[in-house]
Amino acid sequence: MTALVPLIVCLPLLGAAVALMLGLHRRLQVLVSVVSLTAATVMSAALLVLVDRTGPAVVQVGGWQAPWGIVLVVDRLSAIMLLISALMLLGVLLFAVGQGIVDGDTEAPVSIFHPTYLVLAAGLFNAFVAGDLFSMYVGFEMLLSASYVLLTLGGTGARIQVGITYIVVSLVSSLLFLSAIALIYGATGTVTLALIAERMPDLPADIQLILGLLLLTAFGVKAAVFPMSFWLPDSYPTAPAPVTAVFAGLLTKVGVYAILRTQTLFFPDNPFSMPLMIVAALTLLVGILGALAQADIKRLLSFTLVSHVGYMLFGIAIGTPLAIAATVFYVVHHIVVQTTLFLVAGLIDRVGGTTSLSRLGGLLKSSPLVAILFFLGALNLGGIPPFSGFLGKIALFQAGAIVGDPIIYVLIGVGALTSLLTLYAFARVWSMAFWRPRQEVKDYTSSMSASLVEDPQDVGLVLKKTISPLMVGATTSMLVFTLCLTVFAGPIFDLTTRAAGNISSPSTYIDAVFPNGTGAIENSNKGTNFEGGTR
Amino acid sequence: MVAFLLAFTVLSVLTPWLTRRLGTRVFYLIALLPAGAFAFTLTQTATVTAGGAVTQALPWIPQLGISLSFRVDTLAWLLALVVTGIGALVLVYCARYFSADEPSLGRFASLLLAFAGTMYGLVTADDLVIMFMFWEITSVLSYLLIGHYTQKRESRGAALQALIVTTFGGLVMLVGVVMISVAAGTTSLSYIVANPVTDTMGTWAVLLILVGALSKSALVPFHFWLPAAMAAPTPVSAYLHAAAMVKAGIYIVARLAPGYADSDGWLPVLVTLGVWTMIVGAWRALRQYDLKLLLAYGTVSQLGFLMIAIGFNTRDTALAGAALLLAHALYKATLFLVVGVIDHRAGTRDWRKLSGVGRSAPALAVIALVAVASMAGLPPLLGFVAKEAVFTSLLDAGVGGSGWGYAALIGTAVGSVLTVAYSIRFFWGAFGTRKKQPGTVLHASAWDTLFAPGVLTALTIGIGLFASVLDPLLAPYADTVPGVGSRTEAPYHLALWHGLEPAFYLSVVVLLLGTLLFRSRRGVSRLQAKVPDYIDAGRGYGKAIRGVDRLAARVTHFAQRGGLPQYLGTIFTVFVLVLGFAAFVNRTWPDTIVLWDYPGQVLIALIMAICAVMAARVGQRMTAVILAGVTGYGLVALFAFHGAPDLALTQALVESITLVIFVLVLRRLPANITHHNKPVRPKRRLLIGSLVGLVMGTIGFIALGARQFESIAGALPRLAVEDGHGDNIVNVMLVDIRAWDTMGEVSVLIVVATGVASLLFVSGRNAVVPRLKESRSLRSAANRRRVVADPELSSDGHAVTRQAFLLAGRKNAPRSRSILIEVLVRLLFHPAMIVSIYLLFAGHNLPGGGFAGGLLAGLALVARYLAGGRYELGEAAPIDPGKILGLGVILAVGMSVISLFFDGIPLQSAYFTATVPVLGNLSFGTSTIFDVGVYLVVIGLTYDILRSLGSEIDRQSEADEIGQRPGPAPEGASTSTPEEVDR
Repeated sequence: MTALVPLIVCLPLLGAAVALMLGLHRRLQVLVSVVSLTAATVMSAALLVLVDRTGPAVVQVGGWQAPWGIVLVVDRLSAIMLLISALMLLGVLLFAVGQGIVDGDTEAPVSIFHPTYLVLAAGLFNAFVAGDLFSMYVGFEMLLSASYVLLTLGGTGARIQVGITYIVVSLVSSLLFLSAIALIYGATGTVTLALIAERMPDLPADIQLILGLLLLTAFGVKAAVFPMSFWLPDSYPTAPAPVTAVFAGLLTKVGVYAILRTQTLFFPDNPFSMPLMIVAALTLLVGILGALAQADIKRLLSFTLVSHVGYMLFGIAIGTPLAIAATVFYVVHHIVVQTTLFLVAGLIDRVGGTTSLSRLGGLLKSSPLVAILFFLGALNLGGIPPFSGFLGKIALFQAGAIVGDPIIYVLIGVGALTSLLTLYAFARVWSMAFWRPRQEVKDYTSSMSASLVEDPQDVGLVLKKTISPLMVGATTSMLVFTLCLTVFAGPIFDLTTRAAGNISSPSTYIDAVFPNGTGAIENSNKGTNFEGGTR
Repeated sequence: MVAFLLAFTVLSVLTPWLTRRLGTRVFYLIALLPAGAFAFTLTQTATVTAGGAVTQALPWIPQLGISLSFRVDTLAWLLALVVTGIGALVLVYCARYFSADEPSLGRFASLLLAFAGTMYGLVTADDLVIMFMFWEITSVLSYLLIGHYTQKRESRGAALQALIVTTFGGLVMLVGVVMISVAAGTTSLSYIVANPVTDTMGTWAVLLILVGALSKSALVPFHFWLPAAMAAPTPVSAYLHAAAMVKAGIYIVARLAPGYADSDGWLPVLVTLGVWTMIVGAWRALRQYDLKLLLAYGTVSQLGFLMIAIGFNTRDTALAGAALLLAHALYKATLFLVVGVIDHRAGTRDWRKLSGVGRSAPALAVIALVAVASMAGLPPLLGFVAKEAVFTSLLDAGVGGSGWGYAALIGTAVGSVLTVAYSIRFFWGAFGTRKKQPGTVLHASAWDTLFAPGVLTALTIGIGLFASVLDPLLAPYADTVPGVGSRTEAPYHLALWHGLEPAFYLSVVVLLLGTLLFRSRRGVSRLQAKVPDYIDAGRGYGKAIRGVDRLAARVTHFAQRGGLPQYLGTIFTVFVLVLGFAAFVNRTWPDTIVLWDYPGQVLIALIMAICAVMAARVGQRMTAVILAGVTGYGLVALFAFHGAPDLALTQALVESITLVIFVLVLRRLPANITHHNKPVRPKRRLLIGSLVGLVMGTIGFIALGARQFESIAGALPRLAVEDGHGDNIVNVMLVDIRAWDTMGEVSVLIVVATGVASLLFVSGRNAVVPRLKESRSLRSAANRRRVVADPELSSDGHAVTRQAFLLAGRKNAPRSRSILIEVLVRLLFHPAMIVSIYLLFAGHNLPGGGFAGGLLAGLALVARYLAGGRYELGEAAPIDPGKILGLGVILAVGMSVISLFFDGIPLQSAYFTATVPVLGNLSFGTSTIFDVGVYLVVIGLTYDILRSLGSEIDRQSEADEIGQRPGPAPEGASTSTPEEVDR
């Protein structure tokens, strides 16, 4: 069964190759993509069950033992991330196919879209299964290079302009990550996560500080942590709706995952708690204030995305098993809800002809279904009960209150305030885009909209064709899925608690990779009595 | 209880659909559900009165201690009866209130029903978190219901205001909820009340929860949202904003009072704000002309009154408060419904336009009179009973030594005077006959519009008359409040007549003064005009919201204004500050400093650094590219001197091909960079850049010097030779030991290919590289050596004949052809391809490998293209590069998948040796197949890039020259952002 671990990366890659070769047969391409991602979903679900029952699945690729070869490790956290990503990728793919059929494929040339999208998927999966810091980097590179292509789909001036911002920032972050790998290899002599985890505590605290902060800085750019977050709202919203949805849902979460993984594994004593708390608070506040200033729904959503990363950092900063469990739950929730909302924004763009609040109106009357989708999604993201956003939030607050430091109470206060402001931002969207009658839009002045800033890339009102059933179907299914996160919060939280139990004690991870201990490694280097490395 | 909640959910979802079928009759149908819940609650009476409780619990999120637990004790029983009973009646009322063509009726009915269910859940929940969930849901439903008339701007504004204010309180409360449940170790409400948390944390938690209660029940300073919420349809006002939702705050105070009424801050907060609210609300009610607004301010006032009674800390006030709660729900809902009828029948709610309504609608007037009398506190009604009880119990508390008792008594007495005055004003205004006004014409209405208010009024009278029956029903709740006033031996009992007690005299005085106040209404309104609004909380809200908006705009403008240069600057500054700090505090410096391994290293590094800096400063694009190339070749030299010929070879090939690609792109761009990109603040950038280098160098120095462990690299040479069967360790690493990463990077290559194509072939990737039309005949061996005449040129009379070294060469204009290059390419192409294949297979033991081999083959293709143009490219590789790429990936990835099926280990390499004649002993590993995949991908990528950046740009240039632009041009791909242009 552990064969599933490499297969989940290989399958989308093969799919990408086949899709590339099938360039002229678009229907076949769609079929290949859908089959690949469906299979990935099924496999990741199977992996989750397997890993949950029998412990981490470890694969030494090519039979080369870690730390010489590459080791793939799927523990519960990885499996959860795999499953949720696969589901999102599949849902968004269906939406994209639906949109493409309506659009006559002008916006997103399918022949490029499918192979690239599948490589993005493979990269994501690779980052989640990597038990090796460099493999994680390769996963990042795969998904980032795919994201460059997806962001600039269609090659419009606006997309290329924001694409430059996105690519340069991503390259800088990759450069920092690569430097971190080099330094960690320099200090510990290995890039295998488990061995680094074993060796890191023996390094002087000064060195640990340098390595930890370097990793945090590198991943902080990817996760869009304040003040390294400003690039995100300038680049995501310009892409086609499904692409933005995938970026928003998954790409920053890879950064969060990397922070979570490396912090818990390398620095189990949580030495970066205080700086993390401070940036968490600032990320929450500055992000949500940004959302309040936006007239464009997609940009507004991008800012909420930045803001809510603060909740996850908060959980990581607290660092107790309960807090980690809450963080994982929140990550899952946020991936699904943020992706769904961006898809809804795509639908709004279709039915309203724009996503700018200054031109939208009467949507409740004209498209009640879109209204319901938006309203439920917005409440969920705003953390209104009984939805999963609320559950994640209260779990974080509880975990914080149990620790009970004064700064944690400040954080809880900031978290609650962010929740209120999120709700305010969405209520305003609701009021203007959905409640306000269409005929009132012209000559509308209000103090409410006085300080809103338009999207610099705004293209005005473009009435497009209607929405296809597949788009609505995909979005609705995703929304239903968010509701399932609420209804089945008990079992899911149970799972994330077990996952947190795993990652709160690095020894589980280390033992899974080195069942016979790491003693043989030291010997083998001296060339004596070498057993561990052979196949 | 859970079953009912489920039923509420399901029926609410179905209601819009049902409404489409049944019209307004749907309200009768859905009213059955709250009526059923009412009846169900009645069946629990016996248990509850005996002091017990009906409980039900389902686990939900055990890790957080949250369970769906419900518990009906006396308090919950009372509230459940109120919310379900009045809910059912209001729904029945709706059936007549709305006409069938009312827009969005289905949505309205569904939301109102959902609200009834939510309130039922709120009052019966025993889990604090679950209670809070219902609490917040009521806020959201209230938001949607207030904004029902979506076309009205004020109703949208009022809805938003109510949402923000109540959610603000709710979130403050949430923090309190979390604190208290963590401190108590449980979320069970009954446990938390029975075992109060008395430490500082508990005190703070309770105060935070009170903030939520105050905001929900519209107490000062949150009171302003309630009158604004009157924009909602009248049934909503009657139900949410009189009987049910605003009682939620009262409820939670009543719920916590048995455990926390004596905690610090509780009484001062509740009594002060309660009295303030009672007086402010009543005072404002006294000047309203809109009957609904009058009632709304009256409700605010009464909520203050209720909060005092319920929140006070003795057993008797609790009893009085419970009775007052019931009385208020009954009369206030009645009055709202009456106003709704007047509004419908008269077409206005402004009493200045009404006259003689009492005469034309006597039944309505009687119902209203009873309700008003109860509000003013006249016997024998329930309002009187409750008010008497409040007065007596507060007096007892005062006599018992509580200064707050007296304060509350005086405050409520003053408030009651005003209440009497506005009660009279309401009735007189609504039903009185004014001589100057013509009698109001009322539309006919069905008798059953009076059903709901009639039932409520009957209860007001009935329960008032038989108040002693109510007493034992409410007493079990009151008994849970431990505090006693002066009445230590015999507790107070609710009854219509208590004799000539002090409270009775007080009531008489209050009634007299109130009547007097109403009679001198002219003086009062003059006074009202003079007294300014010292504190206008509503305006404060507006200011706060605008302040937040402005702050948001400012912060965002500050953070986002700079575009890419600012973002990069920020990231690098963070890096410098954070890691500079870490380096500064570092005390673990390496013992020895090796400045260089060999002197040449310094020279190379210096050249690289100078070139890198210059590349950033020069104005010419081409110069910049070449300078960047020099840094790359510097790296080649470093690799070579370090004894890594493989890396050096690969790096050199990469640099060469990069240079070619740059040149291909640059020919379409302006030569000068600075033309579009004037550097901003160059000194600051120079500083940041230098610091980044300095910090990175320093931490690298520190970290690399800190190694205490053997590197795993030590064992790699032996592993490569013994297990990888290759002498070239780098190659074995790439295609075997770390083949997984190579596989990932290979996929990056195909993405790059698609990306470049995506930018240039906007209409689709599969634009086939053009080939010569007659290629088939040309390719025949006979043609190859023939001298051919260029058909294009010969057509205009200048027949040129030339040896066709390159098949497509003749497509090029003669001026751009060079016989020398064509010959050279002709001579070099095939040897280069052979060498590339050699590199591919030799790579396992000697420098080379699939990557290097692929690059060399790619360069060979580049040469063909440069010499012969795009048609030549098509001739050199007459297949779709996508297929080459795909095949390469399939080989590379397929290897790992296939091996899964053989021995379950991906990328497990097998190894064969065979003795082949001529070649001798040939070793062949399956990893070689992997390397072939890499080889193909690299060729495919090069080809694809040539196709995109080479032939497609050629085509577009040619099209430009003859004035046909082929769709979106690619120059945007590299031009700068407009923000940069501006500077």
